[in-house]
Amino acid sequence: MKPRADDTSQPYSDRELQGLKELKTARASILKNLQDTEEESQNNLQKTAIDEAVLESIGDGLVVMDKLGIITYVNPALERMVGWTLDEIVGNSIVDTLILEKEKGEKVSYNEEILSKVLAGGIVVADLTNPFYHVRKDKSTFPISTTVSPILLAGEIIGAVMTFRDITKEKEIDKAKTEFVSLASHQLRTPLSTINWYTEMLLAGDVGKLSDKQDTYLREIYRGSQRMVSLVNALLSVSRMDLGTFVLEPEPTDFVRLIQTIIREQQFHIERKKIIVTTSFQDSLPLIHADGKLLSMVVQNILSNAVKYTPDNGTIDLTLTLIPSANTLRLKIKDTGYGIPLAQQEQIFTKLFRADNVREKETEGTGLGLYIAKTIIDNSEGRLWFESEENKGTTFYLELPAFSDQVTTKHKV
Amino acid sequence: MKKNLKETKTVLVVEDDQPLLAVIKMKLEKEGMHVITSRSVDRVFSIEIEKNAANKITMSSVELSLKHLNDLDRIDAVWLDHNLLGSENGLDFVIKFKDNGGHWEKIPIFVVSNTADPELVQKYAAAQVPNYYVKAEHTLESIVNDIKNVLLGEKK
Repeated sequence: MKPRADDTSQPYSDRELQGLKELKTARASILKNLQDTEEESQNNLQKTAIDEAVLESIGDGLVVMDKLGIITYVNPALERMVGWTLDEIVGNSIVDTLILEKEKGEKVSYNEEILSKVLAGGIVVADLTNPFYHVRKDKSTFPISTTVSPILLAGEIIGAVMTFRDITKEKEIDKAKTEFVSLASHQLRTPLSTINWYTEMLLAGDVGKLSDKQDTYLREIYRGSQRMVSLVNALLSVSRMDLGTFVLEPEPTDFVRLIQTIIREQQFHIERKKIIVTTSFQDSLPLIHADGKLLSMVVQNILSNAVKYTPDNGTIDLTLTLIPSANTLRLKIKDTGYGIPLAQQEQIFTKLFRADNVREKETEGTGLGLYIAKTIIDNSEGRLWFESEENKGTTFYLELPAFSDQVTTKHKV
Repeated sequence: MKKNLKETKTVLVVEDDQPLLAVIKMKLEKEGMHVITSRSVDRVFSIEIEKNAANKITMSSVELSLKHLNDLDRIDAVWLDHNLLGSENGLDFVIKFKDNGGHWEKIPIFVVSNTADPELVQKYAAAQVPNYYVKAEHTLESIVNDIKNVLLGEKK
């Protein structure tokens, strides 16, 4: 609507003017919108550039996948690590492409062990103590630590991000450390045997009678040396577990008899502290499928802890029952001891950890017993857990699979 | 409770650590046993006659070798460490020893080692040596008693 040049008087009607005004406003707002969009897209570009730079430059491998486990992105670090390029694997299922194994070579099931957990909102972590091994395109493997987290969009899980960190070096250092512990412990055994056996002969009077004082002093030396033997044994067990050379030989085992033997072995300490030990074993229990020697170590650890950390005149109750629905036997060891402080309960199965309250009361203790116990049970298809309240007591629960068909005879307690 | 052996029994102790070897010998002798010792596998089976400085065989070295031979023939039991001086270990000893056949095969061997490695225990068991002790976990007395009991049982 071009105004005519020769017409100097009012060229438009009010309505037309009004319309023009509206058009102007509309134009301005469109321009403004365009400007905003451009600014926004500029901002977005910048953001994308930053994100890309971040993803490209971080040392850890990164895989993004959708809800179905289809790979939508991998960063250059991952490409280098696994030997696949982005183009080769985007669009593939992670299940078939980035194959993971466990320590002993068994395949990690993505669906069961990772995706189902992450898609339910959880986070999956594998680390140095329990790494995954990635099988490269060329079939070689390397250990990784990984974290898998869900991607949320408006409260809905739309996929997952998985990080890969090559921990070959850490693993080597860890192995060297463990091997050193193993070697050192072995070497310690010879001089310890020398101390023990010579002391033993002296105490037996094999080289002449000792005075009472000499006898007392020598007994202290002997006890100290015995403690050292236990420590060396514990360190060796731990190093064997860490090196994965711990061999479990499960066989049908009479759990009741095993428990009774261990109680007998602890009798001296139980009586010294005037602790009352009660046992209740369900009749006709089936045998369990377990490595007797290692299981003894577990029960011995839990019971000796109960004795050690229960004040004089306390009680310890041992109950063994069959849980038919799960076909497992459950041993419950309940004490009236010092208990485990709530704040430290999470760490109780950690290597070398000792709770503050017992560290103040007992100097003996390596902090290895429960770590060993947990590792053995975790590898025996069993479960080990506890409930505890400080200054009230602790109850340990130990469950192991029953060995079907065979039933133990009635046991006299 | 001391049980007495009717006749003197000979125990061969193969152990590389000098102080341990001494205390084992003492204890066994205390229990009335005759003890011969070696720190390596070679030494057990060596019947080489030592020569003096002038590279001549002497009467005493001949006697020593003969005595060793005689002792070897009288062995009733063996106390065996796994790690030994020289290149051979306890398992090598077992193979050589059993290789002699005859009564040698029946002589009881007690392995007393530093390691509790189940694989090693298995290997000895496979070589017909089921008596396996981890040094630091047993008293000298308990092992010596086990040896005595086996030697007594054999008499019946």
